[in-house]
Amino acid sequence: MFERGKKDEPGRTIGPRQGLEPEPAPWTETARGDAPGREAAVIGRSIQIDGNLRGEEDLRIEGDISGTIQLHNHSLTIGKDGKIKADVHAKVIAVDGNMDGDLYGAERVSIRKTARVTGNIVAPRVSLEDGARFKGSIEMDPEAVDAAVAKRQPAPRPAPSVAPTPTIVAKPAAVVKV
Amino acid sequence: MEPLGAATARAEFVAPATPHAPLFKALIERIDVARRVIVLDLGAAHSRTLELFGRFRCRIEIVDARSDIESLNGVVESPDLEAAVAALLPQAGAEPLDVVLCWDLLNYLDRRALAALMAAVAARTRPGGFAHALIVYLETRMPAQPGDYVSLEDFRLQNLGPTPAERTAPRYSPEDLKLCMPGFAIDRGRLLGNGMQEFLFRRKAALEQGNDSLARSSAPRTKSRAR
Repeated sequence: MFERGKKDEPGRTIGPRQGLEPEPAPWTETARGDAPGREAAVIGRSIQIDGNLRGEEDLRIEGDISGTIQLHNHSLTIGKDGKIKADVHAKVIAVDGNMDGDLYGAERVSIRKTARVTGNIVAPRVSLEDGARFKGSIEMDPEAVDAAVAKRQPAPRPAPSVAPTPTIVAKPAAVVKV
Repeated sequence: MEPLGAATARAEFVAPATPHAPLFKALIERIDVARRVIVLDLGAAHSRTLELFGRFRCRIEIVDARSDIESLNGVVESPDLEAAVAALLPQAGAEPLDVVLCWDLLNYLDRRALAALMAAVAARTRPGGFAHALIVYLETRMPAQPGDYVSLEDFRLQNLGPTPAERTAPRYSPEDLKLCMPGFAIDRGRLLGNGMQEFLFRRKAALEQGNDSLARSSAPRTKSRAR
C-alpha cells in the first residue's frame, strides 16, 4: 500500500509506539476553509468512485463518489464541485457541494452556504449557514447522537493473535544397553 | 384647511415587517427541556431555527416544502395527492412529532392539498402535539411565494425573502381550517401586527376526533364565509 510521506509529513507525529495511530495534530482552519485538520488528500473533480472509500487521513473531495465514505478519526470536506451519493462517517465533516446521503460526524458537521444537502445529520455540533439548501433531519439530542455515533464507530481492532507456544515434552533419553 | 396633526393621524398604517408572535413564543416556552422533542419544519433550514431548538433534546425534520406547493395543488387524483404528500414528509411510523412549524405555507395550498398535507402531518403527530401557522386574515393580497421565516431572539418572526409579486390570498377562516384539519383543534388564535392571524393547533386524541366526526355528520351543513 501507499505509505506516502509518512516519515516527513508535516503535522504527523509518530510517537514512541511506532506503527500505532499517529497523534492528532493541532486543528487549524486551512486557507481554503476545509474542515479543520491536517493537510488533506484530495480527490479531484475528474475522479469518479463507485464503492466504499475508507481512509486514515483527512480528505477533500471535489469529484463524484457513490457508495460509503468512512474516515472515522479524520476530517472530510466535500468541496463546491463535489457530488456525493453516499453515507459519510467522519470525525469532522464540512459540506460546500452536493450531498445525497446521511452524515455522521463524531465531533461536528458544518453545512456551508453553497451546499445542497438531502439526508440526515447526526453530530454533537451542527452548523448551517443561511443560503444552504437542506432537506432531512438533524439530530441534536446529545443522548441520541452519542448512541448513533458509538453504534457506527468501527469495532476496535482485535489484539494480534498469539500463536500457541508449542509444548515441548522432554522424552526420557533412550537407554542403550551395551 | 386641516391641521397637520389630522393628516398625520390619517397616514396609512404600515404593517410591521417583523411582528411579535406571542403564540410562537408560548409554544417554545412550553417545551420541556428534559424531554426529547421531535420538530417538523415545513419551511427552509435556517441557523436561527437550529439555535432556537438546539437548547432542547431535539431532532428537527426539515422538509422545505416551499418548492413543492404548486405540484401539490396540481395533483388531481386523491391517491396521487396522498402519495405526493407522503413523499414530502418523514416516513410514517417514526418517532411522533411534538411540534410542527407551518410558517405561512398553508395560505399557498388549495383546500384539497391543505387537507391532504395536514391529515398526513396529523397522522405523524402525537396527541397533544402542536402545529403553529400564520394565516393571511386582513389583507386580500399576499406575496406570490411563501415566506422564508425565522424567529428572532425576541420571538418576532422575520420573512427573509419577501417577494414583490402578489397573488390573491385565500383568507382561510377558522371554520375553513377546522374543516380542512379535522385531526387538529384550534388551541389559540391571535391577530398579529402585520394583519396575519397566528394559530396554534393542538393534535386531537383519537377519541376526540371520533366524537367530532360524529357531531359533524349529525349537524346541518353551514355555508362557508362570504368574502
